[in-house]
Amino acid sequence: MYWRNPSAWSPFEELRSLQREMNRLFDGYERGTALSRFPALNVWGNNERVVVTAELPGLEIDDLDISVVHNQLTIKGERQREPVAEDVICHRSERNAGKFVRTVRLPFAVENDKVAAKYEKGVLTIDLPRSETTKPKRIEIKTS
Amino acid sequence: MKDAKEKALEKVEHSEPELTHEGREYTPLTDICEKEDMILLRCDMPGVGDGQIDIRLENNELEIVGKQSADTPEGMDLMMGEYQTGVFRRKFSIPQLIDRDKIHARLHDGVLDVELPKADQAKPRKIQISTGG
Repeated sequence: MYWRNPSAWSPFEELRSLQREMNRLFDGYERGTALSRFPALNVWGNNERVVVTAELPGLEIDDLDISVVHNQLTIKGERQREPVAEDVICHRSERNAGKFVRTVRLPFAVENDKVAAKYEKGVLTIDLPRSETTKPKRIEIKTS
Repeated sequence: MKDAKEKALEKVEHSEPELTHEGREYTPLTDICEKEDMILLRCDMPGVGDGQIDIRLENNELEIVGKQSADTPEGMDLMMGEYQTGVFRRKFSIPQLIDRDKIHARLHDGVLDVELPKADQAKPRKIQISTGG
């Protein structure tokens, strides 16, 4: 699903198609669960930073592994299956457990040291500031 | 082809109750387990905070509603949107008699745990078999 705001021009338009291709490339890399695209991600961006959010309820922070290389973000993790006591009968088991890996290509390289992640209410939010060296610099025009 | 005027006058049929709030309604994935003395429900409800949950038990129907907080960062464009936020809602039919005063719910990291203790009459009672003769 892709959202498009027809009235706004987004500088990331071109990069979206590139991103889609990269996602396809990395999706088959490691398959932990039956779904090839888990977790679902929302990627927000502007010229200064990118924010990635994912719905990942019921995770322990220790079971989450987030890594960044240049402009690639990889989210790896595992949701543990809760042990069922002997005297318990389960009528329904819809919540899945297991490992997952997801790699997303970002529109620009980010400052690895300044990447911040928080996990609140079961939502993982990763804040990735743009790498200084990739920020567009205004070029002064000298007139003589 | 019906023209615009005809279409405007057509009565529209509606069978589902419609939403009166923004955002879609989602069905939270739920595990249901039963112990001798209680029913346990566990729902995945990411992005829902403590004050945003509503649990009602009426006429053997349990309804759970949880509103997700919209996590929209300010001053940013959505570049890739694979999920939306909205409201989680699910109804369960609970035929067993539940002790309403002792219903206990806990929300932790986007997972809602609901404990529905069975009313004493609903608990299985061991019947002694007396052997005679």
